[in-house]
Amino acid sequence: MVRYPPLRVIQVLLVALLMCAAPLAVQAEMGHNHQSGPVKLQKPKGTACVLPEEQMRRTHMDYLKHKRAVTVREGVRVRDESLKNCISCHPSKKKFCEQCHKYVGVKPDCFECHNYPD
Amino acid sequence: MTMDRRSVLGLGGAAAAGVMLAPGLHLIAAPNKTEADGNKRWAMLIDVNKCASDCTACTSACRTENNVPMFGDPTRDIHWIRKVELKDKSGRRPSVSLPVLCNHCEEPPCVHVCPTEASFVRKDGIVLVDKHRCIGCRYCMIACPYKARSLVYHKTKLPEGGNPDVPIRGSGVVEKCTFCVHRVDDGKLPACVEACNREGHGAMLFGDLNDPESEIAKRIKSVPTTTVRKDLGLEPHVHYQGL
Ligand code: HEC
Ligand code: HEC
Repeated sequence: MVRYPPLRVIQVLLVALLMCAAPLAVQAEMGHNHQSGPVKLQKPKGTACVLPEEQMRRTHMDYLKHKRAVTVREGVRVRDESLKNCISCHPSKKKFCEQCHKYVGVKPDCFECHNYPD
Repeated sequence: MTMDRRSVLGLGGAAAAGVMLAPGLHLIAAPNKTEADGNKRWAMLIDVNKCASDCTACTSACRTENNVPMFGDPTRDIHWIRKVELKDKSGRRPSVSLPVLCNHCEEPPCVHVCPTEASFVRKDGIVLVDKHRCIGCRYCMIACPYKARSLVYHKTKLPEGGNPDVPIRGSGVVEKCTFCVHRVDDGKLPACVEACNREGHGAMLFGDLNDPESEIAKRIKSVPTTTVRKDLGLEPHVHYQGL
């Protein structure tokens, strides 16, 4: 039978404890500041996004694509929620949108045609 | 939350907090919203007698408004609206000059042939190309009797002093006149019509044919007008007076 030194046992227990606590820490962070992990985002203007921040982070692509379809095909235009209006609170593509997109490796081709200031 | 078939089809889900877009994503109706109106039929009436043969205000206003580039190669250039000179072969009538643009047909052949449903008719009769879906096959260009469509052969850039509110285009898609749909939705006239009025010609009239009180509906009722290639039965929404 293998015998573990007491120090090693404490180490393992500590790591296990940390692993349980980490998701809580991440969750706490999500609601508060605008740093998504190692990504530094330009502080947005205004007090709230067009949807709650957690939703925006995860689903802005579906949101934008859905809007795209109904705008082009049904002529539904909601000024406050249009891509043009993102610019009024997130004025820089390089300092906001692309910070994240570079990090996660997505290349939306929207901006080959749509204007968004660098 | 799971996405069932009914909510995918937009039949369920719309109950309580607005329309469900995707799991956990709700669209709450905002007040500053506009939508294409199916009761409208946007149309244009061009009075050929008022159109000056040396004037290109409409075509250049269109290029500026919609960032339509000139490549300087006649086989590749994009035209949303162009001036055409009509000559009477017998020489009895003087030649006339008129703008030709997408006729926004009620029965558009371009839409019928499109394999990807990129070309479509909006509820209010405006024929559009959804460039996100266009694969550049050009069936529509062959189907259109008005030569109103162009394929974009080259990459383009937003020109100096261009209009940032209108997207430019990727190469390999087909495009054409949109009746300045972004302006119409904003309650404004198409750029060509506005330019023609600004020049003092007033040769182009734009409005809702379904509204009997509109200037265009009254004019079409009271003066003889025609459409180009009426025989094709496409019911174009660009009408001409004095042709
Ligand atoms: C009225 C100002 C405003 C507008 C308009 C706006 N945002 Fe935001 N956005 C914010 C604020 C403020 C935050 C910070 C989170 C919060 O407090 O809601 C934010 C957060 C975000 C985040 C999460 C960033 C992070 O920290 O992880 C994304 C992604 C985002 N916005 C995308 C968009 C997109 C896409 C649009 C256009 C559809 C848009 N925003 C329009 C103000 C705005
Ligand atoms: C918090 C990080 C973050 C920020 C900030 C952010 N994005 Fe994204 N975005 C993503 C991620 C992650 C994806 C990929 C999602 C996927 O593919 O599932 C994505 C995807 C997209 C897509 C879809 C791309 C495709 O090809 O499907 C669009 C469009 C988009 N983002 C637009 C924007 C715009 C516009 C902004 C700035 C206003 C922005 N995003 C800011 C993280 C972010």
